[in-house]
Amino acid sequence: MAFKRLDPEDFVVSSDSVTSTVWSNNNPTLNTFFTSSVQKEGSSGPYYLSIYQTASADDTAAVQFQIAYANKLGGGGINFDPNVPNVSPTTTIYGQYRTLILEDENSNFIWGDTNTGSASNDFYAISIERARYKQSLMPGTLNLVLSSSNSQYEAIHLTDNSGMVTIPDYYGTQRVYQVISGSNGVANTLTNPQGYTVNSGSYGWFCPDISTILLNAVALSGSNQGDGGVGLKTDGGSNLNAQNPIKLYQAISGSRVDNASINTFDLNCQETISSDYIFIRARNTEFNYTENPSFISGSTGEVIYPYFINNPQTFPTTVGLYNDGNDLLAVAKLSRPIQKDFTKEALVRVKLDF
Amino acid sequence: MGYLNNAVITVDAILTTKGREALSRNDGSFQITQFALGDDEIDYTLYNPNHPSGSAYYGEAIDNMPLLEAFPSELQIMKYKLTTLPRGTAKLPVLDLGYAAITMKQGAQLSITPQTLNYLGNEQTFETSGYSAIIGDIRLLSTFVGQGIQSTAASNANANATVTIGTSVSKTIIGTQFNLTATTVNTLFGANRILRTTLTVTGLDSGARLTIPVTITKQSLTS
Repeated sequence: MAFKRLDPEDFVVSSDSVTSTVWSNNNPTLNTFFTSSVQKEGSSGPYYLSIYQTASADDTAAVQFQIAYANKLGGGGINFDPNVPNVSPTTTIYGQYRTLILEDENSNFIWGDTNTGSASNDFYAISIERARYKQSLMPGTLNLVLSSSNSQYEAIHLTDNSGMVTIPDYYGTQRVYQVISGSNGVANTLTNPQGYTVNSGSYGWFCPDISTILLNAVALSGSNQGDGGVGLKTDGGSNLNAQNPIKLYQAISGSRVDNASINTFDLNCQETISSDYIFIRARNTEFNYTENPSFISGSTGEVIYPYFINNPQTFPTTVGLYNDGNDLLAVAKLSRPIQKDFTKEALVRVKLDF
Repeated sequence: MGYLNNAVITVDAILTTKGREALSRNDGSFQITQFALGDDEIDYTLYNPNHPSGSAYYGEAIDNMPLLEAFPSELQIMKYKLTTLPRGTAKLPVLDLGYAAITMKQGAQLSITPQTLNYLGNEQTFETSGYSAIIGDIRLLSTFVGQGIQSTAASNANANATVTIGTSVSKTIIGTQFNLTATTVNTLFGANRILRTTLTVTGLDSGARLTIPVTITKQSLTS
């Protein structure tokens, strides 16, 4: 008998979380930021701004993330139709995220406990490029430094609050962590125990499952001393191209100040890999002979050494996994042969990832 | 106090070409139900039962040999399976197909009835569970059917046995007799006059295995 049936208890399903970096070239930190004038001036320009890790014309350039500005009342964007006020690309972006995250067209984004920011409930959305991450962003790994061109404002260090809460907030099916002042998922309690701004609630939302970071526009506009912002000067005026995403880009890249070295964007992603573990059990009486041609001498099938008649030795190197139809579906190689005879049993755990 | 037994070996499996095909078919055929052990790279002539240092060293030349990584082709791996036979077996089962090689013209038919020699005290016998036959490239046959085994596994394996997805993939059937009809499709030949593949037959009880070449010659029947 060459095939042995597997019992139900030989199968174990296990899920493991695998983490990795987000940015290109496996960099955990992104500290160079570039835009593309082609994209900026193109049809997608009014909606979002693509950020690259190197000059966009470079062969290795790849989009790392996009910045969009959302405004419930259409502020900061030029209206699609002069006769229809308050409907611009920023409204589109707002409605997009409201549907996606809040799942309720009558709800507002609430930054922290109760704060809804400005009357237009505006925010910035940082959307990580799909090719950069595996399954979802990893809470606790967000470290984003924003700086201001105004010397009165110190750079702020933003993270999510995953290290401070046991269970995240949920909006519909969406897992949401608050974006706070701090690092590695924990607040800088010097300013506020929760890491929020003084008057504008949290700095935004970290939505790991849709790889999106929403930043509260009002919080970023506040002064550092007074409210923990960087004076971003978001312009929510109606029917104008305020180019707000560029303002956030400049704050992220540090291009608004002379010294950009402090500006970094750290982020990791994670993936849950389901593995089938299959336990291969070879009892002492099993698999002690082989059809290997070097095991026999001649064409009549006699074993090569008389010693093998009562003391056969085999050296399995490979595990083949079959279906009922004897199709070889998967195969596993051992790192070295294991000796098998009538006095030995073998137990091999085969891992099959999906 | 001692160390815990760390004898459990964990190895990562890869899907074979056949496994990927079964997975993509999504028809339930990707269902692992059984396993076999193989020793493809082992040369038992290296085993030395006369080693001067004693029995602990008989397998010295094999024990620490480096092994190659797995190949995804189901035809190139698990060639030699370990088998379970009674202790004291002096002769291992050997298959007899009646052919050392098969050459067929386009559209020609052939039946193969394998027999097993040296199995369970019989000089020559048909195995109860039957035989599996793997054709390396199913495109070369318009009929490839196993007969004589009524199990569900055999029925599943024999159903749609000649359905091709247009690329070179193997097909496994089960039975005590295998019926083959060479393809009549001329376009498969391209500029060639012959097509070649292999037929591997394995005894499901004994594990005995035999591979023979299959050659199809062009007759310009249809296109």
